[in-house]
Amino acid sequence: MRKRGGRGKSVSKKKEEEEGERREREIKIPKSRLKPHDRKLLNTPAARHWPPYPAGPPLEAHQPNEDTQTSATDKVRDILLKAREEVKSVQVEVKEIQLECDLGNLVVSDNNTLPQSTLRNSDECNEYLQSLARDGIQTLITKVWDLPTERIDNAVYVTLPKPSISIPREKKAPVEKPLTKWEQYAKDKGITKRKKEKKVWDEVLKQWVPRYGFRKVQADKEKNWVRVVPETADPYEDQYAKAAEIKKENIAKNEFQRLRNIARNRKVKLPSVGVTGNEFARPKDLLRAAQHAKHATASLGKFQPGLKGEKSSKGRGNKRKSEEVATMDIQQEKKRNIDIFDKIGKPDLNLDAAMYRQVKDDNVEHDRKKKGGKKHLRRSKMGGRHLTPSDHRSIKLGKGIHNGPKGKSGKGRDAGPGNKGKGKDRASLLQLASKRGATGKIIMTAKKRKKFSKR
Amino acid sequence: MPVVQRVIKPRTKRSKRALEKREPQLVENTKQCLFFHGLKTSEGIRECVKDLHALKSQASLKLQQKNKILPFDDILPVERLAVKHDSSLFCMATHSKKRPNNIVIGRMFDHHLLDMVELGVENYAPLSEFKNAKVAAGTKPCMVFCGTEFEDVTEFKILKNLLIDFFRGVEAKEIRLQGFEHALQFTVFDGKVFLKSYRILLKKSGTRIPRVELEEIGPSMTLQMRRNRFASNDLRKRSLQQPKQQKANKVKNVRKDPFGTRLGRVHMTKQDIGKLQTRKMKGLKEVTHQKFRVA
Repeated sequence: MRKRGGRGKSVSKKKEEEEGERREREIKIPKSRLKPHDRKLLNTPAARHWPPYPAGPPLEAHQPNEDTQTSATDKVRDILLKAREEVKSVQVEVKEIQLECDLGNLVVSDNNTLPQSTLRNSDECNEYLQSLARDGIQTLITKVWDLPTERIDNAVYVTLPKPSISIPREKKAPVEKPLTKWEQYAKDKGITKRKKEKKVWDEVLKQWVPRYGFRKVQADKEKNWVRVVPETADPYEDQYAKAAEIKKENIAKNEFQRLRNIARNRKVKLPSVGVTGNEFARPKDLLRAAQHAKHATASLGKFQPGLKGEKSSKGRGNKRKSEEVATMDIQQEKKRNIDIFDKIGKPDLNLDAAMYRQVKDDNVEHDRKKKGGKKHLRRSKMGGRHLTPSDHRSIKLGKGIHNGPKGKSGKGRDAGPGNKGKGKDRASLLQLASKRGATGKIIMTAKKRKKFSKR
Repeated sequence: MPVVQRVIKPRTKRSKRALEKREPQLVENTKQCLFFHGLKTSEGIRECVKDLHALKSQASLKLQQKNKILPFDDILPVERLAVKHDSSLFCMATHSKKRPNNIVIGRMFDHHLLDMVELGVENYAPLSEFKNAKVAAGTKPCMVFCGTEFEDVTEFKILKNLLIDFFRGVEAKEIRLQGFEHALQFTVFDGKVFLKSYRILLKKSGTRIPRVELEEIGPSMTLQMRRNRFASNDLRKRSLQQPKQQKANKVKNVRKDPFGTRLGRVHMTKQDIGKLQTRKMKGLKEVTHQKFRVA
């Protein structure tokens, strides 16, 4: 029997009962697929088998019969037959463009053009798609089976390579935590952390006591069931309260330092003035704190009585630059004088303020007209200022501007004498508003802008 | 490892762990998917969403209520939902006369929208229609993409990426050989995408490689691409950036002999051999002059 080269795998002796049925298929083999010498065999019974057998009587599965003695050659013939058929089953039809496999993601890409007629036909469509899928998955499985495997817990695992199709991440890459002040110092000095044991042997209690966490306080209480009052201390002082106070301060200090670290990392400027605790404030800080406290009065600390040795702090505000008039050249001096002149007559035009004022006036007008007659605008009976609905609305800054050129339309407003704008024209205000865009004060969403542009 | 420095510390260890899980990680968690409805849905699309949720049951959450959300007009509510449930994939089902049986599949990056595609579901065959044994939930599917449009046309390229992202499940480094059970097939033809789902049967073949047989189990549908909103190029680039820590460190100056011995290379500064610090042997010391007694 001529051995077909290229199949490669050695034929293992299998039990005859294994693959019982013989697959009988009518396969239409295109002529181009056959090798030249095999084409002659197209019409022979041997052509029913693929790959084609050499000319000669066709091989048929030998039915094991108890009567007849199965000879060795017959057995071998059966095995070879089965092997050929089985080998064929793992083969995939060769495509025009090879299938790309991304083993990391278990994705197979088939870039071949699909036959239009088959897919349009609803009967053949599903079958064809299934066959395509089968080919794809078979290619994938073939490649996967070649990957390195390892055996974990009675199961064989195959290690997948890195995926070739890159999928975007869910979140950004994690930012490295910035070092705290102590960690930075330790790194510079080369101080390494040493892990401390949780349990500590206590001689007094003669047992292993946790150094922190669960049951530490109990152990401490057991140990220090009595507290000795030091000789120098006041006999009426509550030592327990004192100890508790100290502990509280320590916790607060720790928290403060943690927050300070965070602030430093986020580059947030913390006021360095506030007094945070006497335990760790430096004399300089305390002095600053005292100065601030003195200054924070209605008369800016002018009439505050001072202590005996206290120095008065004068130069705390912005220093005035000495006028370098003598050193300025003519052009600069000229410019300076003209600038002063320009500033005198004209106030800075604050468009936002103008708009808000306009809006507020409109709202107030509206309120007055709505409720009929004069009404207290701002001052309430209870004394002091109180915000009327129009004030609220103008704060919200939604209504005044966004009601179009004709004014606020709706409930009986058009009937009134007319809500013509007082100072600025509403249309021009609208224009300004749209130009301004999102200053953060005027609420202008894309939707609202669309509405305006239509008007 | 808490990377975010919180001003207000979490009160319990459990909440701390939950917060840590939601932080950006080096190796990310499996992407969670959020299924929800719009204001109006049809029975068909509800079935579809139910089946898709079943497909991704381990990593998906299905909301029950109807939501007044129009993703193409305002994506903020979707982003807020995604942040709340810590999910970066979403699928929204709606039905209207203009867009019948509509699903919007999308993904987020850094809690903001990355890509989203509106697909119309036609010829839907639900799971219940295929009366055969199904696949265990949470199986990693093998995916087959057929058709040239998935490589040529940009929109389908991005759609392919999105579908892989949506269906791939866990990023597995190792898979059990028996674990290849589920296969999904996406075929693009005539501008439509056919989705088919199969069960993989590995039959014995003469070789060690098994023969693959497929059995259609799952939902089968035809997807028509409607609107889309894809990410800009630089947003996409940013989303694909991998953290530097994951880059493999090059090991320098170490090599292996053909015998398998591991050899290293040490670079030394220039040394003055005459001034090296060695063991001092007193007897070998150079004496300037010898003192000895003449007997």
